[in-house]
Amino acid sequence: MRTYVIRRLLYAIPTLVAIATITFLITRLAPGDPIRFFTFGATDLTREDIEALRAAHGLDKSLPEQFALYIVNAAQMKFGNSILYHKDAMSLVLERLPNTLTLAVSALVLQLLIGVPLGVIAAVNRGKWIDNAVRFFGVIGHAVPAFWFGLMLIIVFSVTLRWLPSQGVLTVGKDVWDIGDRLKHLIMPAFVLALAGIANYSRYLRTETLDVIRQDYIRTAEAKGLASKTVFMVHALRNALIPVVTALGGVLAFLISGALVIEQVFTWPGVGQFTYAAARSKDYPVITAGVMLGGMLLVLSYLIRDIAYAVVDPRIKVK
Amino acid sequence: MKQQTRTLRLLVALLGTLALVATACGPTGPTSGGTTAAPGETPVAGGRLIEGSFADIKTLNPMLVADVPSSTVTGKIYDTLFFADPKNGELKPNLGKWTISSDSLTYNWEIDPKANWSDGKPVTGEDYLTGLKLVAMSKLTVRKSNFQDIEGWKDFVDGKATTISGVKVDSADPKKFSVKFAKVFCPALVNAFGSSSGPMPTHIFGKYTAAGQADAIDKAPENTAPTVSSGPYVFKEWRKGDQVILTKNQNYFKGSPLIDEYVFKIVADATVLAAQLKTGELNYGTVEPKDLADMEAQQNLKVFKYQALSYTYIGWNVKSTTAPALQDKRVRQALAYGLDMDAVVKSILFGQGTKMVAHHPPASWAAPGAGLNQYPYDKAKAEDLLKTAGYTKGGDGIYAKDGKPIEFSIVANSGNKTRETLLQVATEQYKAIGVKVNPKLEAFETMVDKLTTGNQEIQGWIIGWSLGLEPDPYGIWHSTQIPNPAAKTTGFNFGAFTNADFDKAIEAGRSGNCSQAERKKNYETFNKILNDEQPYMFGFSPNTLLVVPQNLRAIDPGTFSATWNLEKWWFKQ
Repeated sequence: MRTYVIRRLLYAIPTLVAIATITFLITRLAPGDPIRFFTFGATDLTREDIEALRAAHGLDKSLPEQFALYIVNAAQMKFGNSILYHKDAMSLVLERLPNTLTLAVSALVLQLLIGVPLGVIAAVNRGKWIDNAVRFFGVIGHAVPAFWFGLMLIIVFSVTLRWLPSQGVLTVGKDVWDIGDRLKHLIMPAFVLALAGIANYSRYLRTETLDVIRQDYIRTAEAKGLASKTVFMVHALRNALIPVVTALGGVLAFLISGALVIEQVFTWPGVGQFTYAAARSKDYPVITAGVMLGGMLLVLSYLIRDIAYAVVDPRIKVK
Repeated sequence: MKQQTRTLRLLVALLGTLALVATACGPTGPTSGGTTAAPGETPVAGGRLIEGSFADIKTLNPMLVADVPSSTVTGKIYDTLFFADPKNGELKPNLGKWTISSDSLTYNWEIDPKANWSDGKPVTGEDYLTGLKLVAMSKLTVRKSNFQDIEGWKDFVDGKATTISGVKVDSADPKKFSVKFAKVFCPALVNAFGSSSGPMPTHIFGKYTAAGQADAIDKAPENTAPTVSSGPYVFKEWRKGDQVILTKNQNYFKGSPLIDEYVFKIVADATVLAAQLKTGELNYGTVEPKDLADMEAQQNLKVFKYQALSYTYIGWNVKSTTAPALQDKRVRQALAYGLDMDAVVKSILFGQGTKMVAHHPPASWAAPGAGLNQYPYDKAKAEDLLKTAGYTKGGDGIYAKDGKPIEFSIVANSGNKTRETLLQVATEQYKAIGVKVNPKLEAFETMVDKLTTGNQEIQGWIIGWSLGLEPDPYGIWHSTQIPNPAAKTTGFNFGAFTNADFDKAIEAGRSGNCSQAERKKNYETFNKILNDEQPYMFGFSPNTLLVVPQNLRAIDPGTFSATWNLEKWWFKQ
């Protein structure tokens, strides 16, 4: 197992180098110069001022030189100073990570708490109206664009009913540790982020449960005279859940990337919102730091998923 | 306003220093009077002012500020030596009062005896010097050129001197200091003593100005969490990406503010901002013209309308070889007559704006009072001018000379609805006078690159300028500011307009006689040349629409400042 983990970690290196390279190329090849953009309209700046600023961010060097420096620094997790914030880009991005993780983990919990029971209920009531309703939701929940759904919720719950706040993480004037207020801000974005996953899980669980309850060992258990509740909870559900649990790692990666859109809609101050704003203002160091952090989380969560597979299901051989 | 914020990011930011404009004539744009306490009303302390913004602050060090949100918040923590009269932009003593020597080279300052930092230490001349040293040592500031004419500045920047010889603090009275410039430069008052020049607390930042510190200031923790304040509010907390919280400075030299807390709150966009003003989640913010009627219908809100120091225009590349028609003044004049800008203001800005026919917006003291051609919408006159220029109308309804039709492209940045609509209207109306426009939309950053580097693909373009307190138009209009692709120099005179008298007037306005009356004369010449030559179709200057609750008292905003008397504001219970 240890060799497996080490090997998987080594595999992650070329992936990260590829992400770093692509990010560098995309930012540099996209039209627009960050310093020209940053100083646009500053009519009293001299050309020397602008050149000094360009030099301070290493943008006066040739592209290959910039790339070489960038890779060497990136290997040490250094991405340079943000052009706008004058501070280390990675530390700025990391400051926002707890907010993104809060959102992603809350969404994950919602997916499991809502998605799993829905799938099981549908399977147990196969063919009945409730099953049809869950299946219908499974399709709709997956098809609805998250940003649109978010806006609809804001119109209903924030603008019309005024039950929930639509922006940010805390009401003005509330203490940082006001958990109740934080939860009120969290409900809508977490639910919107969770929606596709809830739909997925409900469909997934339904199929898995239906599969499992047709297995011989279930029939055997029933034949032994076990209460049907016990058969279901101990024998059926447990096995149906295995693939769900193992998929969690990958889902977390999906949630972190999905948060990018949701964070815009709800002005949720996370990594996605911050990186997106940086992309709009061509703040190269922040863009690369944000993308690399996302990339690392992605690689890490896939690694966790693969390990989880190996641990939970002995049939999967560690190669 | 969102679109402009982006265009002009740095400019306005500088609220006085980086920027352009200085004192003032009476307001000609629409303004609403302040709401001072009605008879019988007694100001009461308390409450919280919550301002909405689309973007977070970037820094709280005025030396590093280069964006509007940071400037807005920093300005409430670090007070400036002078302040601008909100209505006419006239500079008035604030933290300091000043006199200028007869040769216009030395500025003598005396800081208010009551002016203290929030921790009780006095604000001194040394604190001004500290501010300058910080700028000189920072690698990331965009402000160095503001101080380049101060004697000894360069030696300090280059590390050849341990102090700036032109700045002298009176040893007998530390509140007094003088600043000597190497040459006369009229914008110096605004540039070198405005919001990006301190004073900065020596007892806090002094440690970063010692020799051998290099650019330590760029990494100072006080840049994001200031520990003392000279302004009406002190820093409490910055919840990144969400809100910045300031509390009142009890030691403020003009008296402790009445409102307890100031919060700068980030919201997604203009729609959310307007909605939150209605619900009271925000109680200070500017709205777009489309939301004005809705705001005015709210019983609990009131709207202040006043001219902004900015304009949106259509620029012409007057040296274009691919669109030679634009080289002809008569064609450009025809384009001015041929576009109904009053109708544009009515439809795009819901009437909340003013047609422009020269560079300085009417609210600025530098704007000429009269004598400008207003270019009223007149299709017949436009076509007459095209005929005079030697063009004849072809079978397709387009004017042409030597077989070449008057045809050019106009590019605007995509996503900016105001500019997109202006482009559409211009295309249609110019077609009606026999001029063919090929409308194009491009990403803002692509446009910025092409314009500032002098890319000759550009024939016509739509963008905006935001001006500051100092009206010096050198950076936008002087011939040295024409971008030159061959020499790889950039500049803001994108359309390459130049004219000997014009350059002379600009130069005299910045380094001749610095009295406002003399400068105004030079800017009159400057604006009249622009008005006649029409290197831009000058477009319009929008109104700022500031929304606050009905019960907010003592607020008295204007073109040049909205929060100049913030410490006196209060909420009627």
